[in-house]
Amino acid sequence: MILDLHTHSIRSDDGRAKVENYCQWIRKKEIPLDGFVLTEHRQFDDDSDYRGLEDRYQLLILKASEVETDYGHVLVFGVNDDLRQEFDFARIDNPIGEVLEAAKRCGAVAAPCHPGRPNVGLFAHYERKPEVEGIELIEVFNGGSRPGEDDWSVREADARGWAGFGGSDSHIVSRIGFCATEFDDDIRDMDGLLTALRSKRFVPRTFR
Amino acid sequence: MGVTIEEARADWVGVEFETAQYTIEEADLLDWATSVEEADPRFVDPTRDDFQAHPTYTASLTSFRMLPDGFPELGNGRGIDGGKAVTSLAPVRPGDVLTGHSLIADIYAKTGRSGTMIFIVHRVNFENQRGEQVSTVDSRIIRNSD
Repeated sequence: MILDLHTHSIRSDDGRAKVENYCQWIRKKEIPLDGFVLTEHRQFDDDSDYRGLEDRYQLLILKASEVETDYGHVLVFGVNDDLRQEFDFARIDNPIGEVLEAAKRCGAVAAPCHPGRPNVGLFAHYERKPEVEGIELIEVFNGGSRPGEDDWSVREADARGWAGFGGSDSHIVSRIGFCATEFDDDIRDMDGLLTALRSKRFVPRTFR
Repeated sequence: MGVTIEEARADWVGVEFETAQYTIEEADLLDWATSVEEADPRFVDPTRDDFQAHPTYTASLTSFRMLPDGFPELGNGRGIDGGKAVTSLAPVRPGDVLTGHSLIADIYAKTGRSGTMIFIVHRVNFENQRGEQVSTVDSRIIRNSD
């Protein structure tokens, strides 16, 4: 199944897409997605309940977070109460080592996103700071990347033996599904996604 | 040493610093609706019983200062306009007298391709002569933090 692992709704300060409009767009345009993950900026969305939309549109809709660290942005899948006590999701300077360790300790999966992007990508920070330990996967295809950024990410992931996934990083409806991840497993919930990410039974896909 | 985001949030978020009153005129509502090329008769036909302001009309009521006296010098420079978000809560009609209450709603930082930016959200809560809240207008000021 194919999931877009990186999307933003109006819950993010710069998001302009309502979640139902994502669903409508996917179905109307026959985009080959089986679901998507909402990764709102600097927060975890406790309030929204998308089960009705999942049933109506037959799509899996999961919730995660995009947090900001001293080495760029990081997607966190499997956010739970324990993890939210470990660091401040609203901060823009969380130490990446603490985020990665906390995620692992609390049963979540953390992965740098758009690592080839200036200022907020992992590899931009590698040019002036020591490399980070504890990374196992990164987002190699990002729908908002400029030419060359994803190529850099793929090369670095290959060189380090990291797994790579894809996400659109959509902030408006028409961008969803530009990049995504195809899983071997049939994923039904966040636990299933975490298992699949840890097992690395997936490949990044781009539909741009 | 300058004020941090956290200190500014603690000191200024929620602080109301200005109020202003506006009497709503039919002609102004028509001008606004026409300028945004609205076609819905509720907003362009004053002969209708349900004639009312276009939902974004309150964004035009802009006599407020954006920042209160004494607000700290966050970031570098005066910043740029980060756009507006209007939430319409109840109809506004000709003859209404709106009171706008101006406050700092949020201060936060985010990082992006162009570096670290500071966002200051200026909010005006509008209520009518019956004390009903009719609209909220959020304006964002973006400053480079470097």
